[in-house]
Amino acid sequence: MRSICFAGLAALFLATLIGVALHYYLRVRRSAGATWEGLLKQLIWIDRDKIEAIAMDAVAESGEPRPDDDAFSLDSSAIWTLLGGLEGLEALEKNCRVLVELAAYLQRWHPEALVVAEQLRLNAREIEWHVGRLKGAAQTGNLQSSFGDYAQRAVVTYYFMTRHVLELYDRAGFAGLAELQGAL
Amino acid sequence: MQITVFDRFLWVTGFFGHILLLLVLFRRGLARSFTMFTTLIAFSVARTIILYSVYRSLPADYVNAFWYLAVPYDALWFLVLFEVAMHVFRPTGVWPRDVWKSFIGIACVSAIVPLPLTWLAVPSTATLARVVVVRGTFFCAVLMSELFVGMFALSATEGLPWKTHVARIAQGLGAYSVVCVVTQAISDYFGNEPHVYAVLGRLGNAVYVVCEGYWIVMLWQEAPAPRELPESMLTQIYALQRQVEDDLISIRDWRRS
Repeated sequence: MRSICFAGLAALFLATLIGVALHYYLRVRRSAGATWEGLLKQLIWIDRDKIEAIAMDAVAESGEPRPDDDAFSLDSSAIWTLLGGLEGLEALEKNCRVLVELAAYLQRWHPEALVVAEQLRLNAREIEWHVGRLKGAAQTGNLQSSFGDYAQRAVVTYYFMTRHVLELYDRAGFAGLAELQGAL
Repeated sequence: MQITVFDRFLWVTGFFGHILLLLVLFRRGLARSFTMFTTLIAFSVARTIILYSVYRSLPADYVNAFWYLAVPYDALWFLVLFEVAMHVFRPTGVWPRDVWKSFIGIACVSAIVPLPLTWLAVPSTATLARVVVVRGTFFCAVLMSELFVGMFALSATEGLPWKTHVARIAQGLGAYSVVCVVTQAISDYFGNEPHVYAVLGRLGNAVYVVCEGYWIVMLWQEAPAPRELPESMLTQIYALQRQVEDDLISIRDWRRS
Protein backbone atom coordinates (compact mmCIF):
# COMPACT_ATOMS: atom_id res chain seq x y z
CA MET A 1 0.00 0.00 0.00
CA ARG A 2 2.80 2.38 0.93
CA SER A 3 4.63 1.57 -2.32
CA ILE A 4 1.49 2.32 -4.34
CA CYS A 5 1.05 5.66 -2.52
CA PHE A 6 4.68 6.44 -3.20
CA ALA A 7 4.40 5.56 -6.91
CA GLY A 8 1.19 7.61 -7.28
CA LEU A 9 2.64 10.63 -5.52
CA ALA A 10 5.91 10.40 -7.47
CA ALA A 11 4.00 10.18 -10.78
CA LEU A 12 1.86 13.18 -9.81
CA PHE A 13 4.93 15.13 -8.81
CA LEU A 14 6.72 14.38 -12.09
CA ALA A 15 3.65 15.18 -14.19
CA THR A 16 3.26 18.54 -12.42
CA LEU A 17 6.95 19.33 -12.74
CA ILE A 18 7.04 18.53 -16.45
CA GLY A 19 3.77 20.40 -17.05
CA VAL A 20 5.05 23.55 -15.31
CA ALA A 21 8.39 23.34 -17.13
CA LEU A 22 6.66 22.94 -20.50
CA HIS A 23 4.29 25.84 -19.83
CA TYR A 24 7.12 28.23 -19.03
CA TYR A 25 9.35 26.84 -21.76
CA LEU A 26 6.74 27.70 -24.38
CA ARG A 27 6.30 31.14 -22.84
CA VAL A 28 10.04 31.81 -22.87
CA ARG A 29 10.36 30.51 -26.43
CA ARG A 30 7.63 32.88 -27.61
CA SER A 31 9.33 35.73 -25.80
CA ALA A 32 12.81 34.88 -27.15
CA GLY A 33 11.57 34.91 -30.73
CA ALA A 34 9.89 38.29 -30.40
CA THR A 35 11.17 41.38 -32.20
CA TRP A 36 11.16 44.91 -30.79
CA GLU A 37 8.46 45.94 -33.25
CA GLY A 38 6.47 42.79 -32.56
CA LEU A 39 6.51 43.53 -28.84
CA LEU A 40 5.37 47.11 -29.37
CA LYS A 41 2.43 45.80 -31.39
CA GLN A 42 1.29 43.86 -28.34
CA LEU A 43 0.66 47.07 -26.41
CA ILE A 44 -3.01 47.77 -25.81
CA TRP A 45 -4.42 51.19 -26.51
CA ILE A 46 -5.10 53.17 -23.35
CA ASP A 47 -6.56 56.68 -23.33
CA ARG A 48 -3.48 58.64 -22.43
CA ASP A 49 -5.44 61.82 -21.58
CA LYS A 50 -7.31 59.96 -18.87
CA ILE A 51 -4.13 58.38 -17.53
CA GLU A 52 -2.59 61.84 -17.47
CA ALA A 53 -5.62 63.26 -15.65
CA ILE A 54 -5.33 60.66 -12.91
CA ALA A 55 -1.57 61.11 -12.62
CA MET A 56 -1.66 64.91 -12.61
CA ASP A 57 -4.29 64.82 -9.86
CA ALA A 58 -1.59 63.51 -7.55
CA VAL A 59 1.73 64.81 -8.82
CA ALA A 60 3.16 67.74 -10.74
CA GLU A 61 4.89 67.43 -14.12
CA SER A 62 8.17 67.09 -12.26
CA GLY A 63 6.95 63.98 -10.47
CA GLU A 64 6.82 65.71 -7.09
CA PRO A 65 3.57 65.51 -5.08
CA ARG A 66 1.32 68.51 -5.76
CA PRO A 67 1.48 70.92 -2.82
CA ASP A 68 -1.75 72.79 -3.66
CA ASP A 69 -5.17 72.14 -2.13
CA ASP A 70 -6.55 70.81 -5.42
CA ALA A 71 -4.33 67.74 -5.26
CA PHE A 72 -6.07 64.38 -4.83
CA SER A 73 -9.39 65.85 -5.85
CA LEU A 74 -10.42 62.72 -7.76
CA ASP A 75 -12.26 60.23 -5.60
CA SER A 76 -12.02 56.48 -6.04
CA SER A 77 -15.11 56.21 -8.23
CA ALA A 78 -13.87 58.97 -10.57
CA ILE A 79 -10.49 57.22 -10.92
CA TRP A 80 -12.29 53.93 -11.49
CA THR A 81 -14.37 55.47 -14.29
CA LEU A 82 -11.39 57.22 -15.90
CA LEU A 83 -9.40 53.99 -15.81
CA GLY A 84 -12.22 52.10 -17.50
CA GLY A 85 -12.94 49.78 -14.58
CA LEU A 86 -11.48 46.35 -14.33
CA GLU A 87 -10.94 46.19 -18.11
CA GLY A 88 -8.81 49.31 -17.97
CA LEU A 89 -6.81 47.85 -15.13
CA GLU A 90 -6.25 44.67 -17.09
CA ALA A 91 -5.07 46.68 -20.12
CA LEU A 92 -2.65 48.50 -17.83
CA GLU A 93 -1.42 45.17 -16.49
CA LYS A 94 -0.99 43.71 -19.99
CA ASN A 95 0.97 46.76 -21.11
CA CYS A 96 3.23 46.37 -18.09
CA ARG A 97 3.81 42.76 -19.12
CA VAL A 98 4.87 44.02 -22.56
CA LEU A 99 7.19 46.56 -20.92
CA VAL A 100 8.74 43.70 -18.93
CA GLU A 101 9.22 41.85 -22.23
CA LEU A 102 10.79 44.97 -23.77
CA ALA A 103 13.20 45.12 -20.83
CA ALA A 104 14.02 41.42 -21.35
CA TYR A 105 14.60 42.12 -25.04
CA LEU A 106 17.05 44.90 -24.16
CA GLN A 107 18.83 42.62 -21.68
CA ARG A 108 19.05 39.81 -24.21
CA TRP A 109 20.32 41.75 -27.20
CA HIS A 110 21.87 44.91 -25.80
CA PRO A 111 23.90 43.99 -22.71
CA GLU A 112 25.32 47.52 -22.59
CA ALA A 113 21.82 48.72 -21.71
CA LEU A 114 21.57 46.23 -18.85
CA VAL A 115 21.11 48.76 -16.09
CA VAL A 116 18.30 50.67 -17.71
CA ALA A 117 16.62 47.46 -18.86
CA GLU A 118 16.67 46.16 -15.31
CA GLN A 119 15.24 49.45 -14.05
CA LEU A 120 12.44 49.35 -16.60
CA ARG A 121 11.71 45.77 -15.63
CA LEU A 122 11.57 46.64 -11.94
CA ASN A 123 9.24 49.59 -12.57
CA ALA A 124 6.93 47.54 -14.72
CA ARG A 125 6.89 44.80 -12.07
CA GLU A 126 6.07 47.40 -9.41
CA ILE A 127 3.03 48.55 -11.39
CA GLU A 128 2.03 44.94 -11.99
CA TRP A 129 2.18 44.44 -8.24
CA HIS A 130 -0.13 47.42 -7.55
CA VAL A 131 -2.59 46.27 -10.23
CA GLY A 132 -2.46 42.71 -8.89
CA ARG A 133 -3.43 43.96 -5.41
CA LEU A 134 -6.36 45.88 -6.94
CA LYS A 135 -7.60 42.88 -8.90
CA GLY A 136 -7.34 40.77 -5.77
CA ALA A 137 -9.28 43.38 -3.82
CA ALA A 138 -11.93 43.49 -6.59
CA GLN A 139 -12.39 39.74 -6.35
CA THR A 140 -12.80 39.83 -2.57
CA GLY A 141 -15.09 42.88 -2.62
CA ASN A 142 -12.56 45.18 -0.91
CA LEU A 143 -11.86 47.30 -3.94
CA GLN A 144 -13.14 50.55 -2.41
CA SER A 145 -10.74 50.44 0.53
CA SER A 146 -7.74 49.33 -1.53
CA PHE A 147 -8.26 51.62 -4.48
CA GLY A 148 -6.84 54.76 -2.91
CA ASP A 149 -3.69 52.91 -1.88
CA TYR A 150 -2.84 51.24 -5.15
CA ALA A 151 -4.66 52.61 -8.21
CA GLN A 152 -3.41 56.17 -8.39
CA ARG A 153 0.11 55.15 -7.48
CA ALA A 154 0.11 52.53 -10.25
CA VAL A 155 -1.22 55.05 -12.76
CA VAL A 156 1.32 57.70 -11.78
CA THR A 157 4.19 55.20 -12.10
CA TYR A 158 2.83 53.99 -15.43
CA TYR A 159 2.34 57.52 -16.69
CA PHE A 160 5.90 58.63 -15.99
CA MET A 161 7.50 55.45 -17.20
CA THR A 162 5.66 55.47 -20.50
CA ARG A 163 6.29 59.19 -20.93
CA HIS A 164 10.02 58.57 -20.67
CA VAL A 165 9.81 55.65 -23.11
CA LEU A 166 8.03 57.96 -25.57
CA GLU A 167 10.62 60.70 -25.09
CA LEU A 168 13.34 58.16 -25.70
CA TYR A 169 11.68 57.06 -28.90
CA ASP A 170 11.15 60.62 -30.02
CA ARG A 171 14.77 61.67 -29.43
CA ALA A 172 16.18 58.52 -31.02
CA GLY A 173 14.06 59.23 -34.09
CA PHE A 174 12.64 55.73 -34.24
CA ALA A 175 9.94 54.88 -36.71
CA GLY A 176 6.53 54.04 -35.34
CA LEU A 177 6.46 56.75 -32.68
CA ALA A 178 2.87 57.65 -33.51
CA GLU A 179 1.82 54.02 -33.10
CA LEU A 180 3.60 53.81 -29.79
CA GLN A 181 2.04 57.04 -28.57
CA GLY A 182 -1.34 55.65 -29.44
CA ALA A 183 -0.69 52.42 -27.63
CA LEU A 184 0.83 53.85 -24.49
CA MET B 1 27.19 -5.07 -7.75
CA GLN B 2 28.98 -6.57 -10.72
CA ILE B 3 30.75 -4.13 -13.04
CA THR B 4 29.87 -4.94 -16.64
CA VAL B 5 31.59 -3.92 -19.88
CA PHE B 6 28.88 -1.30 -20.41
CA ASP B 7 29.61 0.12 -16.94
CA ARG B 8 33.29 0.38 -17.84
CA PHE B 9 32.38 2.05 -21.13
CA LEU B 10 30.24 4.65 -19.33
CA TRP B 11 32.98 5.16 -16.77
CA VAL B 12 35.65 5.79 -19.41
CA THR B 13 33.37 7.95 -21.57
CA GLY B 14 32.28 9.98 -18.56
CA PHE B 15 35.84 10.44 -17.36
CA PHE B 16 37.21 11.64 -20.69
CA GLY B 17 34.05 13.66 -21.26
CA HIS B 18 34.74 15.53 -18.02
CA ILE B 19 38.34 16.22 -19.05
CA LEU B 20 37.20 17.47 -22.44
CA LEU B 21 34.55 19.64 -20.80
CA LEU B 22 37.16 21.13 -18.47
CA LEU B 23 39.31 21.97 -21.48
CA VAL B 24 36.33 23.63 -23.18
CA LEU B 25 35.54 25.65 -20.05
CA PHE B 26 39.11 26.96 -19.80
CA ARG B 27 39.66 27.39 -23.54
CA ARG B 28 36.46 29.42 -23.93
CA GLY B 29 37.18 31.48 -20.82
CA LEU B 30 34.03 30.22 -19.09
CA ALA B 31 35.80 28.77 -16.05
CA ARG B 32 35.96 32.17 -14.37
CA SER B 33 32.27 32.94 -14.92
CA PHE B 34 31.17 29.44 -13.91
CA THR B 35 33.52 28.69 -11.02
CA MET B 36 31.21 26.25 -9.27
CA PHE B 37 30.34 24.37 -12.43
CA THR B 38 34.05 24.07 -13.27
CA THR B 39 34.72 22.88 -9.70
CA LEU B 40 31.95 20.29 -10.05
CA ILE B 41 33.49 18.94 -13.25
CA ALA B 42 37.02 18.94 -11.76
CA PHE B 43 35.68 17.17 -8.65
CA SER B 44 33.99 14.60 -10.89
CA VAL B 45 37.35 13.84 -12.52
CA ALA B 46 39.00 13.45 -9.11
CA ARG B 47 36.10 11.32 -7.87
CA THR B 48 36.41 8.93 -10.81
CA ILE B 49 40.16 8.54 -10.19
CA ILE B 50 39.61 7.92 -6.45
CA LEU B 51 36.77 5.45 -7.00
CA TYR B 52 38.71 3.58 -9.65
CA SER B 53 41.74 3.35 -7.36
CA VAL B 54 39.56 2.08 -4.49
CA TYR B 55 37.85 -0.41 -6.80
CA ARG B 56 41.22 -1.78 -7.95
CA SER B 57 42.93 -1.89 -4.56
CA LEU B 58 40.15 -2.18 -1.93
CA PRO B 59 37.01 -3.46 -3.72
CA ALA B 60 35.23 -4.13 -0.42
CA ASP B 61 35.37 -0.43 0.44
CA TYR B 62 34.11 0.74 -2.95
CA VAL B 63 30.47 1.22 -1.88
CA ASN B 64 31.43 3.19 1.22
CA ALA B 65 33.79 5.39 -0.78
CA PHE B 66 31.03 5.96 -3.34
CA TRP B 67 28.58 7.20 -0.71
CA TYR B 68 31.14 9.33 1.14
CA LEU B 69 32.02 11.11 -2.09
CA ALA B 70 28.33 11.54 -2.91
CA VAL B 71 27.97 14.11 -0.09
CA PRO B 72 30.40 16.78 -1.44
CA TYR B 73 29.25 15.94 -4.97
CA ASP B 74 25.60 16.70 -4.12
CA ALA B 75 26.65 19.83 -2.22
CA LEU B 76 28.49 21.04 -5.32
CA TRP B 77 25.34 20.54 -7.40
CA PHE B 78 23.47 22.93 -5.10
CA LEU B 79 26.30 25.45 -5.36
CA VAL B 80 26.16 25.21 -9.17
CA LEU B 81 22.43 25.81 -8.99
CA PHE B 82 23.02 28.91 -6.88
CA GLU B 83 25.66 30.07 -9.36
CA VAL B 84 23.16 29.69 -12.21
CA ALA B 85 20.61 31.65 -10.16
CA MET B 86 23.12 34.45 -9.62
CA HIS B 87 23.79 34.68 -13.36
CA VAL B 88 20.09 34.83 -14.21
CA PHE B 89 18.60 36.85 -11.38
CA ARG B 90 21.33 39.41 -10.77
CA PRO B 91 21.87 40.97 -14.20
CA THR B 92 23.29 44.12 -12.63
CA GLY B 93 25.22 42.36 -9.87
CA VAL B 94 22.69 42.80 -7.07
CA TRP B 95 19.64 40.75 -6.19
CA PRO B 96 16.44 42.68 -6.99
CA ARG B 97 14.40 42.64 -3.78
CA ASP B 98 11.28 41.12 -5.34
CA VAL B 99 13.27 38.40 -7.11
CA TRP B 100 15.25 37.52 -3.98
CA LYS B 101 12.03 37.12 -1.96
CA SER B 102 10.47 34.92 -4.64
CA PHE B 103 13.66 32.87 -4.95
CA ILE B 104 13.74 32.22 -1.20
CA GLY B 105 10.02 31.36 -1.32
CA ILE B 106 10.61 28.85 -4.12
CA ALA B 107 13.56 27.36 -2.22
CA CYS B 108 11.44 26.95 0.96
CA VAL B 109 8.48 25.39 -0.86
CA SER B 110 10.84 23.16 -2.84
CA ALA B 111 12.39 21.93 0.39
CA ILE B 112 8.99 21.01 1.86
CA VAL B 113 7.47 19.21 -1.16
CA PRO B 114 9.97 16.29 -1.27
CA LEU B 115 9.44 15.48 2.44
CA PRO B 116 6.30 13.31 2.07
CA LEU B 117 7.76 11.66 -1.02
CA THR B 118 11.01 10.88 0.76
CA TRP B 119 9.13 9.63 3.81
CA LEU B 120 7.05 7.27 1.65
CA ALA B 121 10.11 5.91 -0.15
CA VAL B 122 11.06 2.69 1.61
CA PRO B 123 14.60 1.66 0.80
CA SER B 124 15.08 -1.98 1.78
CA THR B 125 18.71 -1.50 2.65
CA ALA B 126 20.38 -3.23 5.51
CA THR B 127 21.78 -0.41 7.59
CA LEU B 128 20.44 2.85 8.92
CA ALA B 129 23.33 4.68 7.29
CA ARG B 130 22.32 3.34 3.86
CA VAL B 131 18.67 4.25 4.49
CA VAL B 132 19.75 7.82 5.29
CA VAL B 133 21.99 7.99 2.20
CA VAL B 134 19.39 6.54 -0.19
CA ARG B 135 16.61 8.76 1.15
CA GLY B 136 18.96 11.75 1.22
CA THR B 137 19.93 11.18 -2.42
CA PHE B 138 16.30 10.91 -3.45
CA PHE B 139 15.45 14.08 -1.49
CA CYS B 140 18.31 15.94 -3.22
CA ALA B 141 17.21 14.78 -6.68
CA VAL B 142 13.61 15.91 -6.09
CA LEU B 143 14.73 19.21 -4.58
CA MET B 144 17.17 19.89 -7.40
CA SER B 145 14.63 19.24 -10.14
CA GLU B 146 12.07 21.45 -8.37
CA LEU B 147 14.55 24.27 -7.97
CA PHE B 148 15.46 24.19 -11.65
CA VAL B 149 11.85 24.30 -12.75
CA GLY B 150 11.08 26.95 -10.10
CA MET B 151 13.95 29.13 -11.29
CA PHE B 152 12.84 28.73 -14.87
CA ALA B 153 9.30 29.77 -13.97
CA LEU B 154 10.53 32.70 -11.89
CA SER B 155 12.78 34.02 -14.66
CA ALA B 156 9.90 33.80 -17.16
CA THR B 157 7.57 35.65 -14.78
CA GLU B 158 10.11 38.33 -13.91
CA GLY B 159 11.18 38.81 -17.52
CA LEU B 160 14.80 37.89 -16.90
CA PRO B 161 16.34 36.17 -19.92
CA TRP B 162 18.81 33.29 -19.66
CA LYS B 163 22.06 33.99 -21.43
CA THR B 164 23.09 31.22 -23.84
CA HIS B 165 25.75 29.44 -21.79
CA VAL B 166 23.86 29.68 -18.49
CA ALA B 167 20.80 28.23 -20.19
CA ARG B 168 22.78 25.34 -21.66
CA ILE B 169 24.37 24.43 -18.32
CA ALA B 170 21.00 24.63 -16.56
CA GLN B 171 19.23 22.57 -19.24
CA GLY B 172 21.74 19.74 -18.82
CA LEU B 173 21.60 19.82 -15.04
CA GLY B 174 17.80 20.11 -14.99
CA ALA B 175 17.28 17.23 -17.43
CA TYR B 176 19.65 15.01 -15.48
CA SER B 177 17.92 15.91 -12.18
CA VAL B 178 14.54 14.88 -13.57
CA VAL B 179 15.99 11.59 -14.86
CA CYS B 180 17.50 11.01 -11.39
CA VAL B 181 14.08 11.51 -9.79
CA VAL B 182 12.51 9.02 -12.21
CA THR B 183 15.20 6.35 -11.80
CA GLN B 184 15.38 6.71 -8.02
CA ALA B 185 11.59 6.66 -7.68
CA ILE B 186 11.40 3.44 -9.73
CA SER B 187 14.29 1.97 -7.77
CA ASP B 188 12.67 2.85 -4.43
CA TYR B 189 9.34 1.46 -5.64
CA PHE B 190 11.01 -1.90 -6.23
CA GLY B 191 12.65 -1.73 -2.81
CA ASN B 192 16.09 -0.98 -4.25
CA GLU B 193 16.32 -4.53 -5.54
CA PRO B 194 19.99 -4.89 -6.70
CA HIS B 195 19.21 -5.87 -10.30
CA VAL B 196 16.74 -2.99 -10.82
CA TYR B 197 19.07 -0.60 -9.02
CA ALA B 198 21.95 -1.56 -11.32
CA VAL B 199 19.91 -1.19 -14.53
CA LEU B 200 18.52 2.19 -13.46
CA GLY B 201 21.97 3.31 -12.33
CA ARG B 202 23.30 2.54 -15.82
CA LEU B 203 20.42 4.45 -17.37
CA GLY B 204 21.21 7.47 -15.17
CA ASN B 205 24.90 7.29 -16.05
CA ALA B 206 24.12 7.01 -19.77
CA VAL B 207 21.90 10.12 -19.58
CA TYR B 208 24.68 11.94 -17.75
CA VAL B 209 27.16 11.08 -20.53
CA VAL B 210 24.68 12.48 -23.06
CA CYS B 211 24.46 15.68 -20.94
CA GLU B 212 28.25 15.91 -20.92
CA GLY B 213 28.28 15.70 -24.72
CA TYR B 214 25.61 18.40 -24.86
CA TRP B 215 27.66 20.70 -22.61
CA ILE B 216 30.86 20.12 -24.59
CA VAL B 217 29.19 21.00 -27.89
CA MET B 218 27.11 23.91 -26.58
CA LEU B 219 29.78 25.54 -24.42
CA TRP B 220 32.30 25.31 -27.24
CA GLN B 221 30.02 27.40 -29.45
CA GLU B 222 30.16 31.17 -29.08
CA ALA B 223 27.10 32.90 -27.64
CA PRO B 224 25.16 34.91 -30.26
CA ALA B 225 26.71 38.34 -30.68
CA PRO B 226 24.72 41.18 -29.15
CA ARG B 227 23.05 43.56 -31.55
CA GLU B 228 24.61 46.97 -31.87
CA LEU B 229 22.91 49.80 -30.07
CA PRO B 230 23.51 53.26 -31.57
CA GLU B 231 25.62 55.47 -29.30
CA SER B 232 22.89 58.13 -29.22
CA MET B 233 20.29 55.65 -28.08
CA LEU B 234 22.61 54.28 -25.41
CA THR B 235 23.09 57.76 -23.95
CA GLN B 236 19.35 58.35 -24.03
CA ILE B 237 18.60 55.03 -22.40
CA TYR B 238 20.84 55.95 -19.49
CA ALA B 239 19.15 59.35 -19.25
CA LEU B 240 15.79 57.56 -19.21
CA GLN B 241 16.93 55.31 -16.42
CA ARG B 242 17.96 58.30 -14.28
CA GLN B 243 14.64 60.05 -14.91
CA VAL B 244 12.57 56.98 -14.10
CA GLU B 245 14.56 56.37 -10.95
CA ASP B 246 14.04 59.98 -9.78
CA ASP B 247 10.32 59.75 -10.52
CA LEU B 248 9.93 56.50 -8.65
CA ILE B 249 11.70 57.84 -5.57
CA SER B 250 9.18 60.67 -5.35
CA ILE B 251 6.21 58.47 -6.24
CA ARG B 252 7.07 55.90 -3.59
CA ASP B 253 7.28 58.68 -0.99
CA TRP B 254 3.89 60.25 -1.53
CA ARG B 255 0.73 59.05 0.10
CA ARG B 256 -2.83 59.88 -0.75
CA SER B 257 -4.08 61.94 2.15
